Amino acid sequence: MSIALDQVTKRYQDQPVVNDVSIEVGEGEFFVLLGPSGSGKSTLLRAVAGLTGIDHGRISLHGRDVTHVRARDRGVGLVFQNYALFRHMTVADNIEFALRVRRMKAADRRARRQELLKLVALEGMDQRLPGQLSGGQQQRVAVARALAHKPQVLLLDEPFGALDAKIREELRRTIRAVQRELGITTALVTHDQEEAFALADTIGVMNHGRLLEVGNPNDLYAQPATRFVATFLGAANLLLARQGANGIRFGATPVNAEAAEPVHAGREHEVVAVLRPEEVEIAGAREQLTSNYIARAAVEEIVFTGALERLRVRLLDEPSAAQLLGSSGEGDARLEITRTQHERRSLPLAQGAHIAIGARRLHVLPTPLSSFLACGATEADAAELAHEPLLESLSTRMKTRVGLRAIARASEDADKAPLPFSGVAAIAAGDNAAATVEWLLRHGAAEVLVLPRNAPSPTRVFIHWTDEVARRATLAVAASLLRHVSAEAVYLGIVPEGRPGAARPAPMRALLDARSEAQQAHGLEMRTELAIGETVTELTRNLSAASAQMLVLGITDVTQAGSAYRSLLAAQPGWPVLIVYRPAESRAAPEIAA
Amino acid sequence: MKNVGKREPSVIPGFGITLGFTTFFLSAIVLLPLSALVLKTAGLDWSRFVEVIASPRAMASYRLSFGASMVAASVNMVFGFALAWTLVRYEFPGRKLVDAIIDMPFALPTAVSGIALATIFSVNGWIGQYLEPRGIFVAYTPLGITVALTLIGMPFVVRTVQPALQEVQRDLEDAAETLGAGRFYVFRRIIVPTVLPALLTGFTLAFARAVGEYGSVIFIAGNKYMKTEITPLLIIFRLEEYDYAGAAALGFVMLAISFVMLLAINLLQVWGRKRMMVSR
Repeated sequence: MSIALDQVTKRYQDQPVVNDVSIEVGEGEFFVLLGPSGSGKSTLLRAVAGLTGIDHGRISLHGRDVTHVRARDRGVGLVFQNYALFRHMTVADNIEFALRVRRMKAADRRARRQELLKLVALEGMDQRLPGQLSGGQQQRVAVARALAHKPQVLLLDEPFGALDAKIREELRRTIRAVQRELGITTALVTHDQEEAFALADTIGVMNHGRLLEVGNPNDLYAQPATRFVATFLGAANLLLARQGANGIRFGATPVNAEAAEPVHAGREHEVVAVLRPEEVEIAGAREQLTSNYIARAAVEEIVFTGALERLRVRLLDEPSAAQLLGSSGEGDARLEITRTQHERRSLPLAQGAHIAIGARRLHVLPTPLSSFLACGATEADAAELAHEPLLESLSTRMKTRVGLRAIARASEDADKAPLPFSGVAAIAAGDNAAATVEWLLRHGAAEVLVLPRNAPSPTRVFIHWTDEVARRATLAVAASLLRHVSAEAVYLGIVPEGRPGAARPAPMRALLDARSEAQQAHGLEMRTELAIGETVTELTRNLSAASAQMLVLGITDVTQAGSAYRSLLAAQPGWPVLIVYRPAESRAAPEIAA
Repeated sequence: MKNVGKREPSVIPGFGITLGFTTFFLSAIVLLPLSALVLKTAGLDWSRFVEVIASPRAMASYRLSFGASMVAASVNMVFGFALAWTLVRYEFPGRKLVDAIIDMPFALPTAVSGIALATIFSVNGWIGQYLEPRGIFVAYTPLGITVALTLIGMPFVVRTVQPALQEVQRDLEDAAETLGAGRFYVFRRIIVPTVLPALLTGFTLAFARAVGEYGSVIFIAGNKYMKTEITPLLIIFRLEEYDYAGAAALGFVMLAISFVMLLAINLLQVWGRKRMMVSR
């Protein structure tokens, strides 16, 4: 591996700006680190260059551990957004800077300089001063300068940020050509997805200091695993659908989505589907659609953008139609659509026109957290719960909706099946919480979030499961949750007291398995801790150790929630607990992994 | 003269008005008094003129005045830079206070600082008592004059270098570091050249101020014949003898030397700036 980052963490004033990031970049690979501003991507690049120290983890370049090596001894070339050329030196002196530092002979320096200037197509500019060059030319000089000492790794920090569109594209091509010619391992940081697509062999997407997904541009665009990547890489409509044994359906409309994942535990559940604006088909009537019908819609806005026409439509006939994430309420569901000029000509539309919408291609996100459903004894209780700060911040960050449901479980007939539960059911912590959780799980809910009043956003999330059967699901839910809160993940393994020492290796192995699965299947870096004692006591002790802690608890038996873990769900002292229930019979069934 | 007055329009009205005002202002405040000086000097016949300006006493005073000013400005260039560096680069408690103290020499009547210095550095003064046994005498020596001139000139260097240092982007140092340069190399090859124009300006201002300084120096100089007499002091002596022409002649010489030196430094700066081509 050319660049290998292992669990790199960097904190500023105790806030992690880079959170447990592990990356491997192969020899000669062009790696693009993509993320919004403040996602920690530049800090990470500076850490690789050695300009910023890290608080935890390891950085190696070509197999050499450079975590504690000074920047000047790391053998990297770095290109900055504002060029950072030495303005009092000529182009020649700038390029030869690294060679002069290394006391290279003048003749060799000149030869190397000529070579580099040729590489970046700036021959004959040797004696110019940076101030006499255009922005694009200056950045070329910066690239040549960064390559002078033949670094093993080239790092570029938003190198096109200060340039206008035309020059940007030209320089992009130059950098790609130079990189190919030299075969140098390159890492580039940008917030521009177009740039990432144009340059990258591999893209890594960062948000909130975490590396969310890594993959080649095509795969990331076609099959994102997280909603952030789905919406950040290109535009995306996120829809709530239900997945059952017979496939995907929107309300009453079945859809043959190609990318459907296997159903977990054989039960129908809610999923998040990605519908790219260009994959939406428009027809005058449902019968004329060649793809899967989704809903009827009214055209609200038409914007002409040159090659493409951009439409904004409002979905009609809610709620039987698809539910859009991010919409605040009923009748507010809007879909983004783009059409080519060819499509536009075949069906010209005016504002207000009624159309039928179809999906040519749908991708179902493997995330187990689709939406939230605030449950209370009455509608008012549920509404109050929906305004809990933690639930509000979670749903905002996840760009998902919080539904409301009044559950009067006492009066309800136990045999009568209630409306299916979609998404994560949320209830208030308290004395009755344990019984309510049990009731919810018996009636089809798979995840229940128990919220104490005014719980802060967690800084540490403990993960624990009572049985290995629940491991995959619990990890998947925890990973999904942790992508949206910047908290530290800790897996807590608990071994009963009095077990003979010989039996210790088993839990230790389980611990390591859990860690490697979290990393491989979900990209989740978590710490592992082993406690010895009674489960609830140990969980309580760890949760009490600091403020702002949270628990993700995997269980396989409905009665566990109601009895054994009762004390964890009380209002006092109160921690947010996310219960993940997977019945033991799902052992054989394929589980959603992500 | 091409393109006169064809610059881009600005908030200040009309090229004609602004140029007129500039000329008038310069003439009334700067050039008129100076030409009066020259005129007065012209009243002197040549041999008398030479006698006044080339007397051993005058020669000694030039050496002292310009020498001490040069040394003081040079000292300021080094320590003023260090001060500015500390203020720009580090965040420490009391930084704002230190920043404010820098300007004090501007505000203090120079005679006050001269008296204060003389008191501190006299043989029985706070600092002087410790220096005296070691054979270092500050008060009433050329060294004392240099100290006074350093005090007076310090803010000029700090205040001109400060903004220039603020402009040195951290990225430049980072870039140099990734290219393999050590700290001292970065300082010598990147930071110093970048702030050099500002440093020279600071030097020029401090020097110019020191040459013309009178108030603070006479108190600490002791004004010993041929030893610690600065040129402005000789001019005062001439005035006290009602020898206005003689005073003017000495003034004229100071003016001429200062002008030549300042012009030299300015040209040096122009040359340096051309190399920098400031067009970000």
